[in-house]
Amino acid sequence: MSGLFQVPWSDYQSDLLDALGRTVSYTVVSFVGAVLLGLAVALLRISKARPLRVLAAVYTEIFKNIPLLAIIFLTYFGLASAGLRLDVFTAGCLSLVVFYAAYLSEIFRSAISGVHAGQTEAGEALGLGRVGIFVHVVLPQAVRQALPGTNTMLVDLLKSTSLLVTVSAAELMSEGRLITSATFRALEVYLVISAVYFALCYPLSQLLLLLERKVRAGVPLSPWRRRRVRAARALLAVDLGVGLTAELKQKETAA
Amino acid sequence: MTEPVTTAEAVPPARTDAVVRIEGLSKSFDGRLVLDQVNLEVDRGRIVSVIGQSGGGKTTLMRCVNLLERPDGGTVEVAGEVVHHGGRTVCRDLPRLRRTVGMVFQRFNLFPHLTAVENVVLAQRKAGVPEPEALERAVALLRRVGVAHRGLARPDQLSGGEQQRVAIARALALRPEVLLFDEPTSSLDPEATREVLAVMRELAADGMTMLLVTHELPFAREVADHVVFVDGGRIVEEGPPQDVLDHPAETRTREFLASYGSAS
Repeated sequence: MSGLFQVPWSDYQSDLLDALGRTVSYTVVSFVGAVLLGLAVALLRISKARPLRVLAAVYTEIFKNIPLLAIIFLTYFGLASAGLRLDVFTAGCLSLVVFYAAYLSEIFRSAISGVHAGQTEAGEALGLGRVGIFVHVVLPQAVRQALPGTNTMLVDLLKSTSLLVTVSAAELMSEGRLITSATFRALEVYLVISAVYFALCYPLSQLLLLLERKVRAGVPLSPWRRRRVRAARALLAVDLGVGLTAELKQKETAA
Repeated sequence: MTEPVTTAEAVPPARTDAVVRIEGLSKSFDGRLVLDQVNLEVDRGRIVSVIGQSGGGKTTLMRCVNLLERPDGGTVEVAGEVVHHGGRTVCRDLPRLRRTVGMVFQRFNLFPHLTAVENVVLAQRKAGVPEPEALERAVALLRRVGVAHRGLARPDQLSGGEQQRVAIARALALRPEVLLFDEPTSSLDPEATREVLAVMRELAADGMTMLLVTHELPFAREVADHVVFVDGGRIVEEGPPQDVLDHPAETRTREFLASYGSAS
């Protein structure tokens, strides 16, 4: 073991922490951007206007069928040669956003169109209006459908930030390369870097699985829903108690 | 003084004594005529039952009342207001119209991501009812339909009969002037059907105005004031239940009743 671990890691601690922070920043900013753009593209794909549908489909097909690395080179080097010079953070995030938005739009589209037509009708029959139906009826059910795929994409995006090593984005992978070139201990360095990625991704995906289970079980997550359910529980105490009392009595007689 | 000339564009004044009034209604799907010159009236406090074979146009007729289906021609009048006339929607505020008309679906269509009580609260909040009031009304309605003890359950935790009763509570939440029932017991077992019919019987006793598409002919006979037999997109026969169901005048009605084996 002493032969394997010889890099003076304590010297690199603060650099590694910076890099870790940058990886997290790339992930968070890009994911938020990709979700928003993906949702917009998904809505265009189910719109009634054919040109909008075609536009969205073209977008999705283009970015789904180009390697992420090519997109990174295009935004960072390509645009620069055309006169549009983006800093590495902007170029990196932009690449991840346009790439993952294409995949997320597919997930969102199928989730939204997977909500039963009867749900929209019930909303219409209750006079909810188009926005009300989307926000209160379709979206919450679509989120439930889209969550597993979206979560996979989030973890995948985090790992893909490592491709930004090619434009020296100063995230974890770039830091690993830097340490390697200083120490020539590639195996040790990349084992440690891989372990850091694992330590980020594994808890994240477990956390997301937990969230999926909660959402599927219908646990109210938003504070206003919790408040409503709590108030309803208080109002329904007598009714809910009827079943409970019967149960207790049964237990007593059994004892 | 001359009367204004009635053109296809001019909207006739509403008659006010009927909650629902349909005149000369026609509707086709992909060139197939589903409703052909149908007239129907539901007066306040009355219960009108529409019967007929599947695919005969009864559900489409009902869905034209709250404009879930847009008629191709004719007039639809709800609560004294013309809402659709001559193939165009006259009503400017569809959500308001739909709050006047409660609807109960065959497949319940409860919102699966919300608890029973939240299902009854949602539309009230969107209609501007304050939260405490909306909750109290929801709880009262759930008690009225006998599912308050299941108020915090989600639809997939409820039996079919319980789901449909929650759906009735949800439809009542906005104090509609008329309730539409689209085959409310068709996807229920006999026990659940009894539960739901019991709730509907109470509503009828309370004087609720109802338009009811049903296969439950004995129930139609019991609660309806007026029975309408629809076949091939036309009203073949209508009248008091004892006339239409027990002494039908038309051959087609007799055939239909015989096929249901409920002429007794």
